[in-house]
Amino acid sequence: MQINTRFYSYFKEIVSGEELVVDLPEGSTLGDLLEVVFENYPKLREMRQSTLKAVGVEYQKEDYVLHNGDQVSLFPPVQGG
Amino acid sequence: MRRTLILQEEPIDEATLTEARLFDEGRGTGAVIYFLGVVRGQENDKMIKGLHYEAFAEMVERQFELIFDHVERTWPIQSIRLIHRTGPVQVSEASLWIEVMAGHRGEAFEACQWVIDEMKRVVPIWKQPYGLTD
Repeated sequence: MQINTRFYSYFKEIVSGEELVVDLPEGSTLGDLLEVVFENYPKLREMRQSTLKAVGVEYQKEDYVLHNGDQVSLFPPVQGG
Repeated sequence: MRRTLILQEEPIDEATLTEARLFDEGRGTGAVIYFLGVVRGQENDKMIKGLHYEAFAEMVERQFELIFDHVERTWPIQSIRLIHRTGPVQVSEASLWIEVMAGHRGEAFEACQWVIDEMKRVVPIWKQPYGLTD
């Protein structure tokens, strides 16, 4: 399945873009997707603890099982106000 | 509870917001709290011209919906209006305007403080300084 993965804030600079399409086997989790992203962008792995993860418009944990067409977003701690 | 949430690039027009204030005459509004978040001229000990705000707009709306749901369950609040800027915001301009209306000040202060704290924890908005000088 293909998962669109969008990046925000300085994560966009790290991956040199706003979006990646990641190929994953059926039944993969958000954690599996993170591993693929980290393999390609090791600098992001250093920020794993603080990385916020969303599917659609909801925060999700790494054991969330992804479905084809899910829109994943990865971003650093938020700074509104 | 009445809710208003606006993300906008334009400067926050306080006069128009104040003019549009709607008191709850039935239940009796006894407290109106409003707070402005203003861009400081310094960021990490460097002078800046402003902050550029980036938002994941659809998720911002959802997360504020959850925040407002919690407020409604927790305090007897009559109305919340919240405006957050996106794009460039110059030093001394407001990036955030929030107003909470309630029957009494206690719940209005508590809710207003909680909304701002929670926003800074979960609402996907980021800022980047521009025009840095030493």
